[in-house]
Amino acid sequence: MKILVALDTKDYSRKILKNVARLAENTLADIIFLGVQEGGTKPAKSMEKALLKYQQDVYSHFSPDESPYADFSSQKWQEKGPGDWIMTFKGMKEFRLRIRTGSVAKQTIAVAAEVESDLIVIGCGSKFGCEWDGEMNVPLRIAKDAPCSVLIVKHVQKAGEIVSILDQSVVSQDSLEMVNQLVTLHDAGLKIVGVKEKKGGKKDKIEKRMVDLLKYYNDRGISAWIKLLDSKDVKDYVTHSSREAIVALWMGGKESLVKKLFSRSMVDKLLETTRSSLLILR
Amino acid sequence: MLKTLLYINEDLASSIALRYMAYLNKVVPIALYVGHVEEADEKEQTGTGWVRRAWEDGVASNGKRLVDRMLRTENIDCPLAGRPKIFVGDRETEIIYELRSGNYDLFAQGYLNTADPDSFFSFISSSLYAKAPCPILVVKNLTVSKKCALLCADSVSPEVLVEKSLPIIGASSLKIDIVYYKFKELEDLKILDREEGGSQLRETESLLAKAGQSVDGVTVITGTPEQTGDFLKEYALVASTFPGRKSMRMQTLANSLASVLLVR
Repeated sequence: MKILVALDTKDYSRKILKNVARLAENTLADIIFLGVQEGGTKPAKSMEKALLKYQQDVYSHFSPDESPYADFSSQKWQEKGPGDWIMTFKGMKEFRLRIRTGSVAKQTIAVAAEVESDLIVIGCGSKFGCEWDGEMNVPLRIAKDAPCSVLIVKHVQKAGEIVSILDQSVVSQDSLEMVNQLVTLHDAGLKIVGVKEKKGGKKDKIEKRMVDLLKYYNDRGISAWIKLLDSKDVKDYVTHSSREAIVALWMGGKESLVKKLFSRSMVDKLLETTRSSLLILR
Repeated sequence: MLKTLLYINEDLASSIALRYMAYLNKVVPIALYVGHVEEADEKEQTGTGWVRRAWEDGVASNGKRLVDRMLRTENIDCPLAGRPKIFVGDRETEIIYELRSGNYDLFAQGYLNTADPDSFFSFISSSLYAKAPCPILVVKNLTVSKKCALLCADSVSPEVLVEKSLPIIGASSLKIDIVYYKFKELEDLKILDREEGGSQLRETESLLAKAGQSVDGVTVITGTPEQTGDFLKEYALVASTFPGRKSMRMQTLANSLASVLLVR
């Protein structure tokens, strides 16, 4: 598993590191810390300092004997291309720091595609909704356009419940595992909510999907509650749930009903209402 | 041992119900029978004598294959007390007949939890539920919990609730809570003082004490049916008397994520 963490120097970035460290520990993931600066011909000192500090924070989570990552040693930034610097720590698993110039959303999506990451983790402030350095649409753009799953952490406190919304689309193994990880991280209950079209044509398919999911989680000792909703009820349900729970939206392929229902504005609204995190699964 | 008939089909609700019964068997000794009714199209029901018998055998073997498939797939950790019972005919008539002639203590059936109270009400107000001679367990979720709740409200008769629920939950190792529910439109569910439960709650407690049943906890809650339904998810099952169509208790049970034991 490869996790890309988009970071800046703000408090909301620092706060997600504990979760990132636990996620890395549980999944033995390769980690990439990405900082994006507006411009310049070399990495900004503040960004360099922040990323190295964040890396130290994650390393401190592991005991030296058990860390899958290489020792924290003095390395130098390598210029990978114009406005693109990298520092790599190779251990059993790889830890990379990367700084790029440009817009945060664009660069995060580009790096995620380039390194084929499985998950992007990003924090956001909650003063005005879910903002990144004062900009409202950065987390939203990443959530909508990323080629992989995205976890947006607004508040890091424990959520009592993970509410997974799925339709008839195929569910990837990685997505199942990510939900599993969130349940473990938060010691939370899991609710699986199937969405069916009002006409009801695909009910059997959704039920089959839910049986598979239920078995998957039960086999791992996770009990899950099941609920089936009509597509017309799902937006209200999700908006309400997002106040207390972490909502995981399975946005599968082109045919995905959840994808159709949760338009850009709806995801934006969810980011605004959530008191914890939002996970977009692909 | 509670003689129990579990109705199964080939669907998610039955899949959950089968596994739930296996769990329940660990806390309540159950003699579990599974049953299924093959409802053939009326147009197909032709012939008399051996022709009809041969046709019925054919339909029944379809049902048997379905039940075998389900049992094989779920592979539950709970022995069956007898061979699966396959019937051909009208589903409700056949089940009622079996429940009466077999002298069952409990009928169980899976129900896929939805947000639609009307769908739940039409499910529990069918003639099967109206005429069933024993309590009915509507299995909604596989809740692995060591607790169950008696759901009290103003419209509940404490005598019926306690007297009819105890043969099921009293025989179990489940801890018993009493949850007294009052409806109120609130932003979040609120726990009230025990006194707010009034005489209904006191009577329920006293009846349980008389029956020698200890109560683990008493909670008086107020909020919307949705909030209360969510609150109940911590229980393996919630026992209640049959609710009226427009009652808030009906809405609460419809929203309950926990399985519902209905008594009358």
